[in-house]
Amino acid sequence: MIRYIAMRMLAMVPTLVIASMLIFAIIELPPGDYFESYVAELQASGETVDPAKIEFLRNEYGFDKPLWQRYLGWVGGMFHGDFGYSFEYERPVSELIGNRLFLTVLLSFATIIFTWLVAFPIGIYSATHQYSWGDYSFTFLGMLGIAVPNFLLALVMMYLANIWFGVSIGGLMDPDYVDQPMTFAKMGSILGHMVIPVIVIGTSGTAAMMRRIRANLMDELQKQYVVTARAKGLGPLKTVLKYPFRMSLNFFIADIGNILPSVVSGAEVVAIVLSLETTGPLLISALRSQDMYLAGSFLMFLAVLTVIGVLISDIALAILDPRIRLQGRASK
Amino acid sequence: MNGRFRTVWLALLSVLTLWLLSAVAAGAERLAEPPILAAKVAAGDLPPMAERLPLSPKVIDFAAEGKTVGTYGGRIRMLMGGAKDIRMMTVYGYARLVGFNRDLEIEPDILQDLEVEDGRIFTLHIRPGHRWSDGHPFTAEDFRYWWEDVANNKELSGGGPPQEMLVDGRPPRFEVIDDLTVRYEWHAPNPLFPLSLCGASPLFIFMPAHYLKQFHINYADADRLQALAEENQARNWAALHTRLARQYRPENPDLPTLDPWRNTTAGPSTRFVFERNPYFHRVDPDGRQLPYVDEVVLDIGSADIVPAKTGAGDSDLQARYLRFDNITFLKQAEKHQEFRVHLWRAGVSSQIALYPNLNVADPVWREVVRNVDFRRALSIGIDRHEINQQLYFGLARPGGNTVLPMSKLYDNARDTAWTRYDPDEANRLLDGIGLDRRDDDGFRLLPDGRRAEIIVESAGESTEETDALELIGYHLADIGIKLHTRTLQRDILRRRFLTGETLMSIASGLNVGMAAPDLNPEELAPVSAAQPNWPVWGQYVETGGKAGEPPDLPAAGQLLDLYEKWRGSRDSAVRRSIWKEMLGIYADQVFSIGIAGETIQPVVINSSLRNIPDEGVYSWAPTAYFGIYRPDTFWYGDQDR
Repeated sequence: MIRYIAMRMLAMVPTLVIASMLIFAIIELPPGDYFESYVAELQASGETVDPAKIEFLRNEYGFDKPLWQRYLGWVGGMFHGDFGYSFEYERPVSELIGNRLFLTVLLSFATIIFTWLVAFPIGIYSATHQYSWGDYSFTFLGMLGIAVPNFLLALVMMYLANIWFGVSIGGLMDPDYVDQPMTFAKMGSILGHMVIPVIVIGTSGTAAMMRRIRANLMDELQKQYVVTARAKGLGPLKTVLKYPFRMSLNFFIADIGNILPSVVSGAEVVAIVLSLETTGPLLISALRSQDMYLAGSFLMFLAVLTVIGVLISDIALAILDPRIRLQGRASK
Repeated sequence: MNGRFRTVWLALLSVLTLWLLSAVAAGAERLAEPPILAAKVAAGDLPPMAERLPLSPKVIDFAAEGKTVGTYGGRIRMLMGGAKDIRMMTVYGYARLVGFNRDLEIEPDILQDLEVEDGRIFTLHIRPGHRWSDGHPFTAEDFRYWWEDVANNKELSGGGPPQEMLVDGRPPRFEVIDDLTVRYEWHAPNPLFPLSLCGASPLFIFMPAHYLKQFHINYADADRLQALAEENQARNWAALHTRLARQYRPENPDLPTLDPWRNTTAGPSTRFVFERNPYFHRVDPDGRQLPYVDEVVLDIGSADIVPAKTGAGDSDLQARYLRFDNITFLKQAEKHQEFRVHLWRAGVSSQIALYPNLNVADPVWREVVRNVDFRRALSIGIDRHEINQQLYFGLARPGGNTVLPMSKLYDNARDTAWTRYDPDEANRLLDGIGLDRRDDDGFRLLPDGRRAEIIVESAGESTEETDALELIGYHLADIGIKLHTRTLQRDILRRRFLTGETLMSIASGLNVGMAAPDLNPEELAPVSAAQPNWPVWGQYVETGGKAGEPPDLPAAGQLLDLYEKWRGSRDSAVRRSIWKEMLGIYADQVFSIGIAGETIQPVVINSSLRNIPDEGVYSWAPTAYFGIYRPDTFWYGDQDR
């Protein structure tokens, strides 16, 4: 097992090196750089910029150096916590991301828990009561959740929440609480504002998870050990939860690898529509304005989390499911 | 009896005295401190108002500007689309050394006086007793510091002093005459200098020296600065100084300012709170210090959500990120919210305009677009009336890309030159320049046999441009020209027209809509590589001949000569005639094709906010959006007027 983990960790190194190269190259690919987008944006609103000043800035930030030198500088910096400098915000990248991380993680956890709380009971119900009225109505709702675009749902819900409950539009708290120390009133405001994003981001995930639980569980329910358990007189709830449900969880554990990066990035599009102070909109705007160190470091951060997440889910799977563990040994 | 009468009389007298006293006290109260500062003044933490104001403060002429005297207090909330938008506070605040008044004449604002001799010697007189927002005196040293230690410091200003400070590439002779007087003397006139001081994005030729010296290598210990720079994750002292000294984008709450409100939020944040500058130099006619409003709050969110948030009553003063098509939604929200939607006019010469690229790489097309009759034919081949009806509900004003009727330089003949819809004349013009052959579909053929197809490139940030192009496409099909639309990123578009790949682009009109003789006519001449109609010539002028090509079209060369003459002009009369001549050439040569101007800009204003006009012009230049309407004089009265 230890050997297995060590091998996996070693394999992470080349993966991350390739990821960093890809990220840097892709951000560099579109023509122009941050300063050109910046000048164009200013000029669109009538402001002018001294070209000599832009040239000076470009040299200051090392844009006159060749690509590989800038790449090495960026990667080298990351080893001692220097993630580069955001041109747009004129601040170190670490400061910007750190500022938004707390709310992002909070929101993502709430969404994940919402998803589980809704998806598991419904998934189990639909699997055990296949083709019943309940199954059909939940399936219908689930399909609706997958089909309705998140951003549209977000807009409509935001508007209704404002009209009906007076929740201020956009943001994760009432504007009055921004930058104020945490109090019960502020926490209440945050929780109130989180309801819509959690539901909106959660719906599509919930629907998908519901369907997968249903399908996986139904496969298991037909197996002989279930029949045996029933024949031995085990109660219906215990029968389902104790054996087939646990068996059907493999896909869910494998999914943990993807949860980790999404916890940090949040749902980008919905976050933009709802104007949430999470990291998603930061990343999108950085990509748009070619604020390359902000975008690059952020993507790199996500890459690292994905790799770690996959490792965790592999280990968890091995622990949970003896078949995977034993198969691994048998093949050696 | 007598004694009794006396008592009553005395009592009456004392009541009268008390009443009088309280009336006097009420009068004094009107001149008293803003309540938010009163406690600090009483505690001795802040000097009283009389000592905070300059000896002769700038008195705003409320009668002339149609304003009423107000009361202190309140907070203005505004919505912004990004942290960079914090610069709008400098734009709206509009505290400038010299600034435009409502008639677009330059008058002293921060300065007591600006003396100009011969158009080239500028003597600046600082108001005695004027102080920075931290209470430190504002003196000639602040000007000297910027000129000698910042603008002429190789590490801080790599490109040397800004362009506006150079005439023929030569800097001025700078002189400190006394503690409150400085002088800039050039060898030739520099009309750009006063203009650059009063722009929406002004040239700051002063800096709070007393604060910044601690970050400057000439005044502080190098080792300590290095440590400070590392602590703040800056590359070196110069980067740190630049970051902390940024006045246009007031992100540093410690940086003293002369603006009406000063930033108190260090960021990064989604909410920036600006509080009143207790040393601001403007007063109302009663001698009370402005601004009236204590606090301005900028809430930063996505720009796309601004109309919705405004409709929910989250803004007290909003025009930025509101567009014409938001009006119906806002008007509906107006019914149950405490704001009014006002319809201001846009100040650009034309909301949308076509720019034929005279430097296009394709040699056949280059010949064609350089022919003035081709540009004229396109212009009169567009039915502006229909576009106005379809896109702006008939509320805009169809016309060419030239100054608007609200400008003193307006001339009806110029405005209507080559803008009357006349497809027959357009066809005749096109036939006359050798585009008389047509293919089976009725489209004209170029001299080399290709179909006359124009690809118009748009930055595609709004559907307005593409919608207009759809209509223009129908109009031009009638005169045998095929139009296609292509949307691109703005910076890619710029690169493409500079390399000549773009044949024609669509963008907003010129900023000269409200032109006055003293304003800069540079947009009418090839001076910058960012101009979509002649980028290569502009690049040549901009780089002093190092890149690009000199203008080889006589009319464009003439415009450039006129612009050079304007740069060397000494007085307004000369400038006025230069402006008129340039506008005439530009309109007659149809260097860009304007569609419609004076479009509607919705402005949402809290219904208790006073002193802001119901009708106004919303424009970056020269009015600095709200700046010229002086937000420092806005105040909160009772609900509903």
